[in-house]
Amino acid sequence: MDEHSVKPKHPTGAVMVVGGGIAGIQSSLDLAEAGYKVYLVENKSAIGGHMAQLDKTFPTNDCAMCIVSPKLVDCGRHHNIELLTDSEVVGIQGEAGDFTARVRIHPRYIDLDKCTGCGDCATVCPVIVPIGIGPHFDEGLAEQRAAYKLYPQAVPNAFAIEKLGIAPCRDACPAGQRAQGYIALIREGRYEDALRVIKEDNPFPGICGRICNHRCETACNRGKLDEAVNIRALKRFVTDKVYAQPRVSPEPAQRKYEQRVAVIGAGPCGLTAAQDLCKLGYGVTAFEALPVGGGMLRVGVPEYRLPSEIVDREVQDIVDLGVELRLSTTVDNLDDVFAEGFEAVLIAVGAHEGIRLPIPGADMEGVLINTTFLRDVRLDNPPELGDRVAVIGAGDVAMDVARTAIRMGSEVHVYYRRTREEATAGEEEMRHAEEEGVVFHWQVNPVEVIGGNGRMSGLKCVRTEQGLPDETGRRRPVRVPGSEHFVPCDNVIFSVGQRAGLAFIPESAGVGVTDQATIAINPNTLAATRPGVFAAGDATTGTSFVIEAVEAGHRAADSIHRYLQGEELEPPPKPELPVVELTQAEIGKRVELGQVHVQPRVPMDELPAEERTSTFEEVVAGYTDEQAQAEAARCLACGICSECLSCVYECQADAINHDMVEQVGDLSVGAVVLAPGYEGYQAEQSGEYGWGRYPNVVTALQFERLLNASGPTHGHVQRPSDGKTPRRIAFIQCVGSRDQTHDYCSSFCCMYATKEGIMSIEHEPDTEVTIFMMDMRAFSKGYLEYYRRAQERYGIRYVRCRISSVKENPQTHDLVLRYVAEQGNKGAEEQESHSPFAIRHSPIREEEFDLVVLSVGVEIPERTRELGRRLGVEVDEYGFCRTQPFEPLQTSKPGIFAVGPFREPKDIPESVVEASGAAAAAGKVLSSARWTCTEEIVYPPERDVTAEEPRVGVFVCHCGSNIGGYLDVPEVAEYAASLPGVVHAEHNLYTCSQDSIQHITEQTKALGLNRVVVASCTPLTHEPLFQDSIRQAGLNPGMFQMANIRNQCSWVHPDQWDEATEKSKDLVRMAVAKALRLEPLRKTEVPVQKTALVIGGGVAGMTAALALAEQGFPVHLVERTERLGGQLQNVHHIVDYGSEPGNGQGKLVWRDPQVFLQGLIERVKSHSQITLHLESEYLESSGFAGNFTSRLRTPDGESQATTTVAVRHGATVVATGGVEYKGSEYGYGTDPRIVTQQEFEALLASQRVSESANQGGGERRGEDLPDSVTMILCVGPAEWYCSRICCTTAIKNALVLKRANPQAQITVLYNDIRTYGFKERLYKEARRQGVIFVHYDFDRKPTVEIGDSGLEIAVWESSLGQELVLNPDLLVLSMPVVPSDGADRLATRLKVPLDLDGFFLEAHVKLRPVDFASDGLFLAGTAHYPKFMDEAIVQAQAAAARATTILGQDVLQVGGIVAQVDAEKCVACLTCVRICPYDVPQVQARFDGVGGIAGAAYIEPAQCHGCGSCVAECPAKAIQLLRYRDVQVEAEIAALLEPQPVGV
Amino acid sequence: MTEQSNNGFEPEITVFTCIYCAYMAIDTAGALRIKYPANVKLIKLPCTGKTDTRYLLEAFEQGADGVCIVGCPIGNCHHVHGNERGLARVKYTKKLLDEIGLGGDRLEMYFVSGGMGDTFANAMREMTERVQELGPNPLKSEL
Repeated sequence: MDEHSVKPKHPTGAVMVVGGGIAGIQSSLDLAEAGYKVYLVENKSAIGGHMAQLDKTFPTNDCAMCIVSPKLVDCGRHHNIELLTDSEVVGIQGEAGDFTARVRIHPRYIDLDKCTGCGDCATVCPVIVPIGIGPHFDEGLAEQRAAYKLYPQAVPNAFAIEKLGIAPCRDACPAGQRAQGYIALIREGRYEDALRVIKEDNPFPGICGRICNHRCETACNRGKLDEAVNIRALKRFVTDKVYAQPRVSPEPAQRKYEQRVAVIGAGPCGLTAAQDLCKLGYGVTAFEALPVGGGMLRVGVPEYRLPSEIVDREVQDIVDLGVELRLSTTVDNLDDVFAEGFEAVLIAVGAHEGIRLPIPGADMEGVLINTTFLRDVRLDNPPELGDRVAVIGAGDVAMDVARTAIRMGSEVHVYYRRTREEATAGEEEMRHAEEEGVVFHWQVNPVEVIGGNGRMSGLKCVRTEQGLPDETGRRRPVRVPGSEHFVPCDNVIFSVGQRAGLAFIPESAGVGVTDQATIAINPNTLAATRPGVFAAGDATTGTSFVIEAVEAGHRAADSIHRYLQGEELEPPPKPELPVVELTQAEIGKRVELGQVHVQPRVPMDELPAEERTSTFEEVVAGYTDEQAQAEAARCLACGICSECLSCVYECQADAINHDMVEQVGDLSVGAVVLAPGYEGYQAEQSGEYGWGRYPNVVTALQFERLLNASGPTHGHVQRPSDGKTPRRIAFIQCVGSRDQTHDYCSSFCCMYATKEGIMSIEHEPDTEVTIFMMDMRAFSKGYLEYYRRAQERYGIRYVRCRISSVKENPQTHDLVLRYVAEQGNKGAEEQESHSPFAIRHSPIREEEFDLVVLSVGVEIPERTRELGRRLGVEVDEYGFCRTQPFEPLQTSKPGIFAVGPFREPKDIPESVVEASGAAAAAGKVLSSARWTCTEEIVYPPERDVTAEEPRVGVFVCHCGSNIGGYLDVPEVAEYAASLPGVVHAEHNLYTCSQDSIQHITEQTKALGLNRVVVASCTPLTHEPLFQDSIRQAGLNPGMFQMANIRNQCSWVHPDQWDEATEKSKDLVRMAVAKALRLEPLRKTEVPVQKTALVIGGGVAGMTAALALAEQGFPVHLVERTERLGGQLQNVHHIVDYGSEPGNGQGKLVWRDPQVFLQGLIERVKSHSQITLHLESEYLESSGFAGNFTSRLRTPDGESQATTTVAVRHGATVVATGGVEYKGSEYGYGTDPRIVTQQEFEALLASQRVSESANQGGGERRGEDLPDSVTMILCVGPAEWYCSRICCTTAIKNALVLKRANPQAQITVLYNDIRTYGFKERLYKEARRQGVIFVHYDFDRKPTVEIGDSGLEIAVWESSLGQELVLNPDLLVLSMPVVPSDGADRLATRLKVPLDLDGFFLEAHVKLRPVDFASDGLFLAGTAHYPKFMDEAIVQAQAAAARATTILGQDVLQVGGIVAQVDAEKCVACLTCVRICPYDVPQVQARFDGVGGIAGAAYIEPAQCHGCGSCVAECPAKAIQLLRYRDVQVEAEIAALLEPQPVGV
Repeated sequence: MTEQSNNGFEPEITVFTCIYCAYMAIDTAGALRIKYPANVKLIKLPCTGKTDTRYLLEAFEQGADGVCIVGCPIGNCHHVHGNERGLARVKYTKKLLDEIGLGGDRLEMYFVSGGMGDTFANAMREMTERVQELGPNPLKSEL
């Protein structure tokens, strides 16, 4: 509470607002305007929240985007609001006035300063984001790419990249191949791009696509579902596809460094390094002993597995970059290499020396070695083979040897000393060998080669068995005694391993060699022991796989680069992203939701085994396009962004940075406003409704997107199952509200369902809409009227029942609902109550619908609960923030405020009100620090150009390819240069990029431009930016004009190059014509009278007055009566159904508002800044926002008479409240036993059933309390508008009575029970305590008779189908709240409008709920609409915050685009006075009109809104609108339509 | 032109639009890449309430074959009733056009909200087709 809060002495004048939905935006704007620095922390990549997703808003059916978009732009451009998107708060320290908040900013991977929002990245992004991951603006109904902008109007206007981490395939690959990336590109048929991605990490895609040992596939998450994606085959597919086209050699790399590098060995490792170094800009020479490049790939792998042409081509690609390849050149001596001028040497000679087993006879003729044998075959010099060949060994090379020998016509036997399971060859390789006729002999070991005359004739072998494990963990093969046997054969080929040939390295070379005959290196840097010498690949590791050689090659190149640049050799540590391991459950959920289907890999065609043995043709055929795309579609896109770099290549602004990392920073703030919003209930948790299983069951938010013209179906509502237009649509209400697991009402679902129903009928007039609901909660301004219109004009059918489940007709995908339609049925839980009106057996109805919409309720996501924990703010068991009853926005932690649905479910206007209210609450803490943390933009002094000849500069934008790709931008610029008045025209890649903005400023100065035209995108978002740039050059912002050649031209005429180019010229010509006639827009500064006038001394008026006074503004508080307090004086109990922190058990918590009210009155009376005017009346005002003078009629201190005083003030708050209606309905006034709810409350209070009873146990019965009470809700005017508070008040009073007299019989006759939000808990509690609720319809209202036996009330109970008669002791009528007496008179005096029910009408129901349309006037409390005390308090704070945006300024800028009267032409006909929607023009005698006759119209520039209605209507043409003068508009018309100027 | 041609006559359509819902709808049509004829060209006014009969006539005089005014939906005008005033003037101007023989059908007013890019594009196609039927602005030959 206030009394306890101490104002900090030196607070920080900055506020952190958490949550960028409409509430967060409003709070930020109000705070920034009031003089505080704002940090707006949003966890998504753009602000806008749920509102941006909506199609229309009720009850005005405004387009949500139309009304929110200007606020987004204001917020994004406000120089004192810093947007922190992709951010979250991780903790907070300190206290009110002086907090340090720690914020984590997640990487966006796109530089906000460089991104221009052109969207080229998203166009090329191949990754489709799986539904359920990341933000899906279209609620999963439209495909979203990993590079995305949340929505077209998003602020900031920039793209973002969704990246979860590294896909396991990439992680498993030694070379880090971005498999997910090229797979996605293959799925899209973009094979060239796919190859480009592969080549980013691997220069040998064709090779690896055939012979890689594909560890990626072992790691593939898809393997957890069915089978890993066939990644290797896809890689091969791509190379086959691209290599089938004529080869285009790559551009030679630019030489950047003088230094030269020698690479010894042109195998995969050496060539990879050579390529990298060449691309880095070094001179590279590769020395190769063989006559061909490619190393082992070229000479060690048989043709049938890896065709030579593939190897040759991939080697040639590297050579073409500029690598010198010296073939058949053996390096004998490292010193010679250095002597030739090379500054670094990489030894990558591989392991080409086969090993001859050290057994007797191993050097006989006919004994061959694997590497030599294969090389000779590949180099067309095959050895003679006999009929029968023995291959020793069972590794991959042995398989190559065996299968090569088969193809040479021999019978081939493989001998291996271990078991098949222990063989190191790939399973597929062995299978292929077997198919081709290779005979395997397991656990057989040769011990001698037998022969004569130096020529072998066979092998002596032994059989082995498994012995004890050796050092490798494998079991040692042990000779079986007596198993010697002879195997006849003509040749034996040893294939038992390879090693590097290091003969060229003598000991004197200074390069160390290990015991394993490999080169000794530092494994981190690959540096050998001699400086400048590096070694990599098989020569350092022994034989391994191609992909490892590639990886080593990359690392070697990096290392050599660092060496040559004199940098530290150890590579710098790189931030590692997590590897995305999907769990079985996560994959299972995707299957369940139908996003993934179980489907094994697409098989590849193979050459039949019998054909293979006679040919060296490739065995495996590769995929067709269709097969490859189908296989690629199986990818789960684990990492989301795959870093395929398509965006990097495409982005011409160089804005993409995949190496971004998260950042953590601290913010110093004085207060925090929490507006984290809500999330829709996850409908799959209510499995009975079939969401996620039945395609035609959608959530309301999904339906909203279907209705939206910018949504996935362009606003044509289509069924997800078949795209048909649904004719019968059912809405099921209260999904995730008012149920077993949610004891609250979500407050706005009734209205949005009604709105969506109306909109679907507006779209397709023959749509039938049925809404299944329990109550219609239409409790706010205009809602009941909206509900009525839905029924009467649109024929929407409302059925009162609770739907228990939805069934689908599997053939048609139609949906079947079964229900018991009962009038007055209060839902399932009611049936268990002790109601005497229990439901009887009623026929169950069954109905079929095309589409079912689930009206899902509000939930607080885990993320937000976590936020509460991090900030130490108490939340309840549902995650809603606990706030203080009499300070409704104050959380459990001083200085931290909560607004919007985070407090309690609520709709947009209430969230906006709270957002403004929080700005006032924060302002109270921080007022002494106003303007201390803000910055002011300083512009150079303005140059007076009025006397100059026009000098127009035209800047035409390419917008990346967005404009430049569809029309001839240079030609448009050239044309612009030829136009009269134009002294300069140019074209820019992105005119809005930071450097271009600066460039415009510089050009304006340098060329002395006095008018600037930019031809680019939309002025709605970009005009202020460009205006700013010319202001920086000393030009008035009015001297700027824009031509929208993107949204209005290139984007909508993409296939019409010539026409689009011509149209752009037309638009530029028009803009230039207008520019020639532009004039500076002058604003004048009006000093602000920093005082407020508050009309009305109830709780709203007092709260507003205090909120302003406590910020240091003097306040005049005017109250008509002799005492403060207003209607709150009549409220004696306030009750909540609350649970204590840490205790899930709920209970009723009673509070006495009178204690609070007395405190409030005392504070108002004693506040030095508040001047109280009791028994006073507001009479009239003159002036405008910031500068009003008002007259008040007030008692004369001395006499009985009244006097008039004038007060000067800058803003006005209207808080005149309302009163209880007292009509004659239901016999009111004819019998003392018929009372109003307020009278009943007073009666209950007079019986003092308050404090003692509250302690429980000692309940004391009031003596005059009735034993039976009947209440009738919705009396009189409440039939036309919902008075909002009556249901809850009736239930509260019922509970008060029950507490005093538990035996009391209470029956409530109602039309709808509108206990919205947490008030639902009171309703439930009342039912639990036995209060009986009976529904009635307005066309069959209850009747009241006063008979001899007392009151007799009859009501038609429709579920029973009979009339009930009640004889209570007391009849209580819930009379609605009506506007205070004289509200209409006050409205006239203030020149503000009333609504149809007599309440004051705000500027906009949704987004300007406390503003009047006229500037400087605000409203709060019941004067606006009936509301509860806490709502009135918040609204009063909001009105104070809005007033502060004026009072906080020293001066107001007025003028700009306003209408001006030329008095000499004015005939004072009053047309403008009549037409102006804002009542601004006045005919004033001080001006002389036509003919010098006194009296001409005057339009106050501070009040004019610049719409121009009066200008168009003025019969004398005496009014002109600045910037839209007739001469200006007519010049545009003429220029647009004039024929092309001759000679252009 | 890839649009259906009518004897090769591609009518010049001049559109006056407010800077609120209508301008946003036109932007949206662009953002969603919804095509419409390239001869549709726009002039921005602060509100359709600013639509002056003189501007409409001027456009025809300068050779426009058709003229459209696009504003916020009735009831959603950002300046309360500006679009209704605009509509009143369009109706009046149509009458004038009928009287002088140019034909009121060459002039039309549309109401769109910010998301209705599709609706705007449809309206422009519809207007183009209508004016194709009507033929070129006869004043053009006198220019």
